[in-house]
Amino acid sequence: MTVRTAPSASGAAPRAADPAPVVRFERVTKNYGDVRAVDGLDLTLHPGETVALLGPNGAGKSSTLDLLLGLRHPDSGRVEVFGTTPRQAIARGRVGAMLQSGALMEEVTVRELVGLACDLHPQGHPVDRVLERAGITEIADRKVDKLSGGQEQRVRFAFATAGASDLILLDEPTTGMDVSARQTFWGAMRAQAAEGRTILFATHYLEEADAIADRVIVLHRGRVLADGSSAEIKAMAGARRISFTLDTPADETALRGLPALGGIEISGRTVRIRSTDADATVHAVYALGLYPRGLEVAGLGLEQAFLTLTDAATRKEATR
Amino acid sequence: MKTLVALEIKRTLRNKKFMFFTVIYPSALFLMIAGTAGRTALVPHTDLTMPLYYTVAMASFGALTAALMGNSERIAKERERGWVRQLRLTPLPGRGYVLAKIAAAAVATLPSIVVVFVVATVTKGVRMDAPWQWFALTGAIWAGSLVFAALGVAIGYLATGDAVRPLTMIIYFGLSILGGLWMPTTAYPQWLQDIAGYLPTHAYAALGQAIEVGDAPHAGDIALLAGYLALFAGAAAWLYRKDTRRA
Repeated sequence: MTVRTAPSASGAAPRAADPAPVVRFERVTKNYGDVRAVDGLDLTLHPGETVALLGPNGAGKSSTLDLLLGLRHPDSGRVEVFGTTPRQAIARGRVGAMLQSGALMEEVTVRELVGLACDLHPQGHPVDRVLERAGITEIADRKVDKLSGGQEQRVRFAFATAGASDLILLDEPTTGMDVSARQTFWGAMRAQAAEGRTILFATHYLEEADAIADRVIVLHRGRVLADGSSAEIKAMAGARRISFTLDTPADETALRGLPALGGIEISGRTVRIRSTDADATVHAVYALGLYPRGLEVAGLGLEQAFLTLTDAATRKEATR
Repeated sequence: MKTLVALEIKRTLRNKKFMFFTVIYPSALFLMIAGTAGRTALVPHTDLTMPLYYTVAMASFGALTAALMGNSERIAKERERGWVRQLRLTPLPGRGYVLAKIAAAAVATLPSIVVVFVVATVTKGVRMDAPWQWFALTGAIWAGSLVFAALGVAIGYLATGDAVRPLTMIIYFGLSILGGLWMPTTAYPQWLQDIAGYLPTHAYAALGQAIEVGDAPHAGDIALLAGYLALFAGAAAWLYRKDTRRA
């Protein structure tokens, strides 16, 4: 019964030409008292993308998801989901969402709860299929309030994927899962993406963003700090890890004054640095008259790149 | 939506403690209050005997208690724990949620009404002129209790945490006493009787009292209750939709 915008004749047309992006934030601001959680956020999600929303605690990830789901209303700006209000999009069954916190219905079994989600969705899937794809067929007859953290997350995932939604939203979906459970869960997420659904997930596991997302958005203080593929984010941070040992205990003040510093850790004579320009930093170390031993310069994982980006942004604001 | 209604009913039935006290409570009250009254003592200004009056009053009061208290506290708790927030991310319309909660309350109130009637008949020899009156009373009290189930949903949405119980109690005792569920309003001063006439509890008690004396319930009372039902259910559905509480 849902009317969907037919793809234009040129299916591979540039994304910008799409008349109705999946999600559009236009200069959205949200304050809680004096705290500005979302600060003039502009954000557009396109059909079929798998997007990771990254950011340290307090970066505005949860607030952004709340606004996207109509659980909160922006103080200014506009939030559109499939060209309409979040509430409308949800009522039409176009959005499936899994929250990070909050209890599930009590005194019912997993099958009953997932069955409820299937029934409420205008294009609900058969219960057994949803249970299987979330990997919870074995625990289908268990009471919902008697599950482990990881099992509960999978039940939430089933709840969010009970119907043919076009956008799946997951807030820190693998919290409380061990490594192998997480890997299995990623498989379920990829299966959803393979069906052409748009997926937006918030996470602080950078490994997760690296493994699944084809687009990574780094939020910092309610704004988009970086937006690109995980490789691009790493490059954007230009980050390298530098480590060395000194002959004499380090002069901290001098070291902290090094250029292009993304972060520094000094323990006795050992120095570890995150740098956005390794050449400049190393040069300056020598210029201080120091003799670094066992000097190592290495590329960073996404995690380190991310820290470099957010640290740099925090410092920039502090010196303003 | 059907699944939600069925699930809410199942959950209520599985909650054995809640069911037990809901079913036993009005009968216990009946025995305490009507226990000392003579079988033939009349209620002032009426032709009703005390036991008959209290049979209907306590059945109504018990149904009101179960519907109002059960819903308000459980819903406030569900909101606090975050379940309702998750539910709001499904296409469920507000009226579906309210309907399911009213249905769940109705499942608990019906047995409580029947048990009061059985206890009254057995212990105080309460009789009606015609058997249809028992069935009419059961139906009227049961249907009337839906109004308070809807009020319970609305209160569960207005208040949270520590506030929900006191708020429920104030509304509960206020409505019960002023509406004449504990004692006939004929004992009140005129100005209070005038106010009481507009309360849902007064119309609710009047439904039963009309049937007790062998009349049909008054259209005015039915209309008043229907109006309150629409008001409470509408308010509850609206509050469900606009609730943005975080878990």
